[in-house]
Amino acid sequence: MFEERCFEPRMSASPPPVQVVAVIYSKIQNRSGKAAVEVKRRATQPPSEQSAAMDLKQFEADNSGSFRLASRIPDVCRTEDCCLGVDEAGRGPVLGPMVYGICFCPVSKKEELKDLKVADSKTLNEAERENLFQKLDEAQSYVGWALQILSPNMISTSMLQRTKYNLNALSHDTAIGLIQYALDSGVQLKEVYVDTVGPAEKYEEKLSQRFPGIQVTVRPKADSLFPVVSAASICAKVARDRVVKGWNFAEDLGEIDADYGSGYPNDPKTKEWLLKYLDPVFGYPQFVRFSWSTAQTLMDSKAVPVHWDDDEEDGEKAAQRQNNRSMLSYFSASAEGDRAQQTHRFFSERRLKSLKSL
Amino acid sequence: MAAKKKRTPNTQNDSWVVIAADSVTETQKPDCDPDFVKLRNPSTEEASLYLLGAGDAQLYEVKAFEEDFHSWFVGQTVQRDGKLLFVTQMDPLYLILPYMIKSGQEGKFQPVDQVVKDDEFPASSRLLRCTRSLTSLHHIAEEKEVGGLKFHRYSQERTMNWLQKKVERTIVALKKKNICVGEGVKSTTYVRVKSESDDREDTEDYLRYAHGLISEYISEELSKALLKHLGLPELKSPKETEPPSKKRKLSDKPVEAGEDYTKFNSADFARKPPKKMTAAQKTLAKVDKSGMKPMSSFFSPKTKAEKK
Amino acid sequence: MSCNASVTCLHLSSLKGAEKAPVHLMPCEIEHTGHAQVSQYFTATTKENKKDKTVSFRGRGLKGQEISCPQGHTGLVLKEVDRHGSDQEDRKVKVTSVFDKLTYWNLETPPTSDDIVVMAMDWPELAEAIHGTIED
Repeated sequence: MFEERCFEPRMSASPPPVQVVAVIYSKIQNRSGKAAVEVKRRATQPPSEQSAAMDLKQFEADNSGSFRLASRIPDVCRTEDCCLGVDEAGRGPVLGPMVYGICFCPVSKKEELKDLKVADSKTLNEAERENLFQKLDEAQSYVGWALQILSPNMISTSMLQRTKYNLNALSHDTAIGLIQYALDSGVQLKEVYVDTVGPAEKYEEKLSQRFPGIQVTVRPKADSLFPVVSAASICAKVARDRVVKGWNFAEDLGEIDADYGSGYPNDPKTKEWLLKYLDPVFGYPQFVRFSWSTAQTLMDSKAVPVHWDDDEEDGEKAAQRQNNRSMLSYFSASAEGDRAQQTHRFFSERRLKSLKSL
Repeated sequence: MAAKKKRTPNTQNDSWVVIAADSVTETQKPDCDPDFVKLRNPSTEEASLYLLGAGDAQLYEVKAFEEDFHSWFVGQTVQRDGKLLFVTQMDPLYLILPYMIKSGQEGKFQPVDQVVKDDEFPASSRLLRCTRSLTSLHHIAEEKEVGGLKFHRYSQERTMNWLQKKVERTIVALKKKNICVGEGVKSTTYVRVKSESDDREDTEDYLRYAHGLISEYISEELSKALLKHLGLPELKSPKETEPPSKKRKLSDKPVEAGEDYTKFNSADFARKPPKKMTAAQKTLAKVDKSGMKPMSSFFSPKTKAEKK
Repeated sequence: MSCNASVTCLHLSSLKGAEKAPVHLMPCEIEHTGHAQVSQYFTATTKENKKDKTVSFRGRGLKGQEISCPQGHTGLVLKEVDRHGSDQEDRKVKVTSVFDKLTYWNLETPPTSDDIVVMAMDWPELAEAIHGTIED
């Protein structure tokens, strides 16, 4: 099931290319085919017990926005030519954040990175990923990483914005932001490897133009082809797992059942959780991506309808109606019966009018 | 993706969010609950909602702020209806005025309680119980006392002076609140003849704006008479001088459009066209006319306004 | 007798029992009138910044601002009691809540003094000028 909301192309928002959709679709299926990760109640695992340094406290204090977290920059990365991998975790789930990760090391250390056996991250379970992240942390003299955590609230509000900001654009901008962060931090970037989002060629061209002088390689399944991308993927996945597991519900809902499964829409546990925690007025806590069709469909059938001035059905027609009405009123000055409507602009500008009855 | 649901009409609204003058709720006597009543709106001549408070001693106007696609959260509830009602003090004289004008056509002094009567709006007679009504009737009528009884007769002169003061007070408030009165329709002649000065233009903007506001509470004829009284030329055809978005003031409507004969024929509200304003013209003479052209010039073809 | 004769009485005795309630003007129409977990979902997730407040509702980003009732004015929430449905009969309303400030929310746009509801708050003071007593 394709979970990214399909938007009708509107006004300034450019329609996502069809191929893009197909690629994401296959990616999601790959990942969601895996067994659900068992998730316990939030914060059962204090950060100190976590295997390696990744301080998520600041994000947990406000998990409604976008948050960057980074390792120390290894000195050697500032002096030697480096390679960098980009990957993301949690693109498909209806719950929790999407995490973008970069990992970088000197080109000369590629083999050493490979020896850490970070390859093939998709086949790893949570414990193995934690273990590998530990190894990356131990290699901090030559391996650096940075993460951008896009909260589900940020994803929802972006995708549902008046001027729609689709997930591809959001992903590209996040990846670019992280690469730029590495450059700004003095990392001597020469090679960048990116797991694809959308058509590889187009994205590769976009990144090459954006970062002249850097050799950019965009490939589907780059995370299994290039160890530095696998490493980025591990960092991102570990962060997502930890954030989801320790999700700090900002809502005041008391004890929340944390048995929400993998967060993928086709996981029965996730579905069940979404049904259980549906509020007729507010829909969901900010842990849920409102822009996902799973959430939308459930709200459409079980929550009270909410209408916005930019809704396709209501808003545009309503706006049109209003326009028509006001245009008409300009030309019907002779209709004395309209006098009541032709209120002074002090009132019309303030949407103030007399009432006929209570 | 599920289709977006259509809006269903909100027919069962039974609650309202209100901003009301403190005096509405500050009542000493226990049996003086305020009443929302319907009275004849002096500008539209149709029913509008008002509130009579403190045992009918106070009159309030009810205006609704309403934007499409709005709802309220009030405490732990949702209120679908997104209106915000303003209940603000109102001068009862505006509502009494049309009845005075109507009876004034007979030219006789009459007891006011026989004048302010409206079968269609029974609450009208309660207007006379407002503290301000009887004490301020002299602003719109001449008074005569015979044998301890008071009789009144509508006076256009007094009314014009009263309305002019209203306009002046409104201008002060507009300036104080920094309310943008510009971009309105302007008579090019008025500005041009006077000077290049912005002040002058400003003055006309404020005057017209305030006149427009007061006109919300008086009949169209009275509004036109007030315009003359203020020394403001009527704008002949705003369509020709301004883009549509800028000509929404009712005072700017073409003269021909202002006459609805059905209204004049209605028994309740029959009224003569305003008298020639001999008295008002005296007042007019006091107004600074140094920047004004003779009336005749207003009827000569206008050139298009030159916007700065 | 016409329906213009019916009056709606505002029972001031209900004022004593009316509690102060937080009031939010939302930039959307919610097809519901009745209970909602406002404090649990909405208030709990509202962020106060220097300039404005932010929150989200149904996945849409809102920016808001608190404004006070105009001077000399009080906020009241009225509710009709024993509704009959006939517009001939007299009706009754009671005060269910009071407020002295409200928060209005814009869809995505930061609050400014040009927001219509802020401008509408000009009305009571201007009404005073239009309706105040004229001295002789």
